[in-house]
Amino acid sequence: MTASHKTITPREITFRVRRFDPETDSAPHWDSYTLNVTEGMTVLEALHQLKAEKEPTLAWRSSCRMGVCGSCGMFINDLPQLACQTQLLHLGTDVVTVAPLLNYPNVKDLVPNLEPLIEKHVTIKPFIIHPNPQEIDEPTGEFIQSTEEREAFSQFTYCIKCGLCLAACPTVATDPLFLGPQALAQAYRYTADNRDCGLKERLEAIDIFHGPYQCHLAGACSQACPKGVDPAFGIQLLKRTLVLDSIGVGKKKSSVAKVRPLADVVKAIEEFAPPPRTVVSN
Amino acid sequence: MRETRLWSLHLLVIPIIVVLLGTHFAIIHYAPVFYGMSVEEARSFEVMIERGRSIAQFVLYILLLAAGLYHGLYGLRGIIRELPLTPALAKLVDVGIVLFGLFIFGFGTYVTWWTFSFKIGG
Amino acid sequence: MNSNSPKSYPNRLGLKGWVYAGRYTFERYLYLGHRLSGMGLIAYMVLHIIETANRMRGVEAWQGLMALFASPPFKVVEYLLFAAAVFHAMNGVRLLLTELGFFLGKPKEPVYPYSSSVMRHRPLTYVIMALAGLIIILGGSSLFFP
Repeated sequence: MTASHKTITPREITFRVRRFDPETDSAPHWDSYTLNVTEGMTVLEALHQLKAEKEPTLAWRSSCRMGVCGSCGMFINDLPQLACQTQLLHLGTDVVTVAPLLNYPNVKDLVPNLEPLIEKHVTIKPFIIHPNPQEIDEPTGEFIQSTEEREAFSQFTYCIKCGLCLAACPTVATDPLFLGPQALAQAYRYTADNRDCGLKERLEAIDIFHGPYQCHLAGACSQACPKGVDPAFGIQLLKRTLVLDSIGVGKKKSSVAKVRPLADVVKAIEEFAPPPRTVVSN
Repeated sequence: MRETRLWSLHLLVIPIIVVLLGTHFAIIHYAPVFYGMSVEEARSFEVMIERGRSIAQFVLYILLLAAGLYHGLYGLRGIIRELPLTPALAKLVDVGIVLFGLFIFGFGTYVTWWTFSFKIGG
Repeated sequence: MNSNSPKSYPNRLGLKGWVYAGRYTFERYLYLGHRLSGMGLIAYMVLHIIETANRMRGVEAWQGLMALFASPPFKVVEYLLFAAAVFHAMNGVRLLLTELGFFLGKPKEPVYPYSSSVMRHRPLTYVIMALAGLIIILGGSSLFFP
């Protein structure tokens, strides 16, 4: 999505920002502002500058300003993006439209109410369900997990709950009860984790009409995801897991990751030898 | 488990539809290639009845009817239920589609049986 | 959000969201095409069962119906239905494979620039769409080149 180098010259850019004040407006409206934009400026920096210089009542949500907290999700030039990760000059347009995330209630200006995202996330039980729950609360050692076992679900752990995927999903556009790409991908994250054996406990929340089968692989969620989580992939793998489980070819409780007792962990660390020197001192 | 089973069946009938519908297309639209008769002739009443009196046609048509109706109506149910509906309306949609499907299946089976048991000359 | 807070604006896109919701890649439009062709096909299937039941009204009724369907407007509709069926079937094959997790690659640590399963199965999508286009054109050859 980067522009060619001849369009990234610093210049004046017009911002069309969607405004909504719940205390005075019955519906949103668009306001326009102009700003001189230099190389490296993000949409978030532009919003701060607009608020300081032109529109002190402008409201949005942001925090880390470096793409890890997921707070600043907005609809920028017709795509859901993190404002702190969107370079203005690289958008390649002279007019930049900024709107709140779609498919969430709009609290004020660019602020979405992300409660639907969090509620759906909670319903899929986003925690490790182990055959021995006490091991989770009072661990006696470490879980043994090979690199392959870790990689089977690791990419789905990078979710920062920014909500861009639900804003992109066509099913979420009409169905308020659809679990959405985030919750379904997280359901797969826990199901595929070999420390977890909780598919049966999650089935009641997942194997519903508004579950993974209303995903039709439009792929917009994976396009929108700023962390490479690829929720569409997680949902298709979840469908495969559910189908295999329904014919009795699911994960067995006995295949859950074993625990290596703490004493053995300590012993392994003590026996650990450093690698051979690569720098020979004279 | 129920939604998984419904969706799995939706997928399982796909090869049945592809093979039987493809054959149906071939017979009806490519009669000159497969039967050495013109398309108009292939769709005439006499030829249509003659085709329908074979046991294979009888069984396979009913199978295609069941598979096509299940696949299509499961999809239609998905589309309608993706709209914001109350739980009561959602239940009504589910029940209504099942009843509609059973009705059309019954009607189609009756027409296929009528063709199969047609007595030529009265 | 307590009940005394001012009312939020419901920002759900609704049915428009099935058609256009942003600058997404073309798989999203394949989803729309699959949905529209599916609705067209189920409507046609039900109508087809009802109209072919006209055989029970006798030879003349049947022949009248066949004569009607041989007229040009119906031939065009028939061809469009054929195109819809071919598109739906070919895209359906892609969905059958990918929705069961095939041709999507393996999960691995995301490293920027991120690849996605949607991009990874693009080659399959291109092959399937090319085949669908070929069948639609060849199937209409008798209509275009009588």
